[in-house]
Amino acid sequence: MRSRVRVWIVVASLVVLHFVLHVGFGLGPAAPDLLTVALLIGARETGLGTAAGLGLAFGLLEDALSVLSFGANSVAMTVVGTAGGVSRDLFVGDSLVFLASYFWIGKWVRELLRWVVVREELRHPFVDQILVQAPIGGLYAAAVGVVIVTLSGLWREAPR
Amino acid sequence: MQWSARRVAPYRPESRDRRSRRQWPPAGAFLAAALITAYLPSGAQAGIGFVLRRTLLRPFIVLQEGVAAARLRATRVEIMRGQLDSLVALVSTQAALAEDNRQLRDLLGLSQRLGSTFRAATAVRPGTNGSESVFLLDVGTRDGVAVGAPVVNRHGLVGVVREVHAASAVAMDWSHPDFRASAMLADGSGYGIVENRRGASSEENRLLLNGAAYHERVPEGTRVLTSGLGGVFPRGIPIGVVLGLAEAQAQWRKSYWLRPMVELGSITHVLVAVAVGTAPDVEDDLSAAWPVQADSGRAPSAAGVDPR
Repeated sequence: MRSRVRVWIVVASLVVLHFVLHVGFGLGPAAPDLLTVALLIGARETGLGTAAGLGLAFGLLEDALSVLSFGANSVAMTVVGTAGGVSRDLFVGDSLVFLASYFWIGKWVRELLRWVVVREELRHPFVDQILVQAPIGGLYAAAVGVVIVTLSGLWREAPR
Repeated sequence: MQWSARRVAPYRPESRDRRSRRQWPPAGAFLAAALITAYLPSGAQAGIGFVLRRTLLRPFIVLQEGVAAARLRATRVEIMRGQLDSLVALVSTQAALAEDNRQLRDLLGLSQRLGSTFRAATAVRPGTNGSESVFLLDVGTRDGVAVGAPVVNRHGLVGVVREVHAASAVAMDWSHPDFRASAMLADGSGYGIVENRRGASSEENRLLLNGAAYHERVPEGTRVLTSGLGGVFPRGIPIGVVLGLAEAQAQWRKSYWLRPMVELGSITHVLVAVAVGTAPDVEDDLSAAWPVQADSGRAPSAAGVDPR
């Protein structure tokens, strides 16, 4: 199977699994943020324009369920997708340490941007949300992302 | 030869830099679109959200409804098993029928006490980022639900409907920062506004009865109900129980911490007020539907029994 096809199959599967776990089974924070992991994997495969579009699409899907902070996820995911696309040109990224850092930073930045964009009354305290929960969520996403990339065979394939 | 070499550019694979530069305009357009989305009028945002929920996200919402229904069936089996055990015990011991009769009457449920002014609905928690205080309902305008309709369960006030479509609605619960309810003490001796106060973490969110008269001392354990003032909630829906004094301002008003009647984590089935004709008037007193429970101040309930 060609690498590109495999990447998109992984990305699509992660998106479906994310909504099955979060919406279908209502697991909430107990389930990893597979949408961000999917976006970061997809962003490494595509250019930054497509990655930004992917981020906007994923963000809108999340915003459709958050209603009262509509747009916050769209902005956060679009910026993260763009940054992921840019990172493709800056880093080759063929080590596990790089991959883990990439997923961790991506998830943390997503939470930070969402916190910035969301209405002030809807924000949780900065320390709790950004300095405690976001790094933990980032570790969770990094662990899951590395496992997925390794198991799916995407690791070792240098981005084009 | 020299001429043609100058006029016809030699073919070379597109450079990575050039490809990257070509990607910037669409990326900028998507970023702009995302920012515009965040500042669209709420009606347009609701429209986009509704379309996505009815199309791409529909299978996942249906899945959660199915999971919730399966959990409810499992709970009912446990209740029936408990009732069977109780009956066996009753037959074997010939225990007092009056006490059992009272317990069985409790199981009749809140929906019968409230009558046809409320419709039973399934509450679906999206469970995604930013949706912590929001839940989806499987009733809508065709069931008579309107924006601002109160959402209750057997313990008291859950929240209020914010957005309604034909067969679905979006509601916010009491943990949302926008939640406000005009409230009174159970004996009608004092009034105030109940609002949400965010804690250091989401688990520490609490309710606050604000604007109570300074001269009035509200004992711990006093029930706080909706007052019917302001035209949003009917009178008499339990909101919480007074935990203690939060602050006293300049000798003219006090505020009190409340323990909410409704634990949000367990919300799967609720009752939603229906609109027009049979809707409860805000001046109607619904407090009889939530009689006081001696130990906790909560409305009586059988473990695991849902309101309908």
